[in-house]
Amino acid sequence: MDNPLTPDQQNVVIEDALYTYPVAPMPRTVTSNVMARIKTIPTPKPFHLTWQDLVLALIFSACIGAMWFSINNLPPLVVAQIRKESILLYQQLLVNIRWLIPVLSFGLAAFLSALTIPYLRRELLK
Amino acid sequence: MDNEQALLQRAQKGDHDAFAALVDEHQRYIYNLALRVLKDENEALDFTQETFVRAWTALPNFRGQSQFRTWLYRIVTNLCYNRLPNLRRSLTDLGDDVIYEIPETDLSFDNPARGFESRELRSHLHHAIESLDENYRLLILLRYQNELAYEEIASMLNLPLGTVKTGLFRAKEQLRHALETYQEASWTIH
Repeated sequence: MDNPLTPDQQNVVIEDALYTYPVAPMPRTVTSNVMARIKTIPTPKPFHLTWQDLVLALIFSACIGAMWFSINNLPPLVVAQIRKESILLYQQLLVNIRWLIPVLSFGLAAFLSALTIPYLRRELLK
Repeated sequence: MDNEQALLQRAQKGDHDAFAALVDEHQRYIYNLALRVLKDENEALDFTQETFVRAWTALPNFRGQSQFRTWLYRIVTNLCYNRLPNLRRSLTDLGDDVIYEIPETDLSFDNPARGFESRELRSHLHHAIESLDENYRLLILLRYQNELAYEEIASMLNLPLGTVKTGLFRAKEQLRHALETYQEASWTIH
């Protein structure tokens, strides 16, 4: 190396070193280990839409469509009646809200507690 | 490559032999990437295994948007990210101040600069590559050993294109510095 390399020559030398940077040899193959591990994993199944999914989706969309269609085509008298009933229901809710919230909270707490009964029973019977 | 496509299709249907052939084909490159980043043989072997196990699990979702090997690189890089939390940060922190295109050097054999190449010089630079930070090593491996395009690397590492270019530019600057130091030292000896 008698003369220093010019920047262009440095570029070439660096690029050459980068492209010739060796791929490290493997000390041992991992194929057998990988295959042993994947044998314990159930064969993955690709995601498929079944006919059942399609029929269910069709029924749901038909229901939503029918509801939308009926709401838009109800006679004005019936619409007024529904509106009146819903206002009455709302008013009733406002009046009774003082006891409704505690009842709902206690109801939820009772429901969640009831869910623990099978577990507690199992534990007691052990 | 057609053969690989056929193997992939068979493996996606649950064919173990086809997947074993894919493991045989790609394990060396995955191991190399893990080893160069982690610098630990045992960990690199573990990561190679884990990469293929994860690949098997996710194989039905592989739609072939990228090459199979690039997809495997993405998996092993994510494993490296988990192992070295600073790696992702150091890549993101590179910024993207290199806005111009990095020129590709002509490496053809009639290039006069080829005369300057010596085995020692190359070996010295290979050592210099090994002593670069892991973020630079990762970028260099993906770009030069695996010959991925800048865009592919950016998409794989989820980094802006500018950051990839900046990282490679800075890595080369560090190698240039190592080269100059080597030249100065050998000049003093002579």
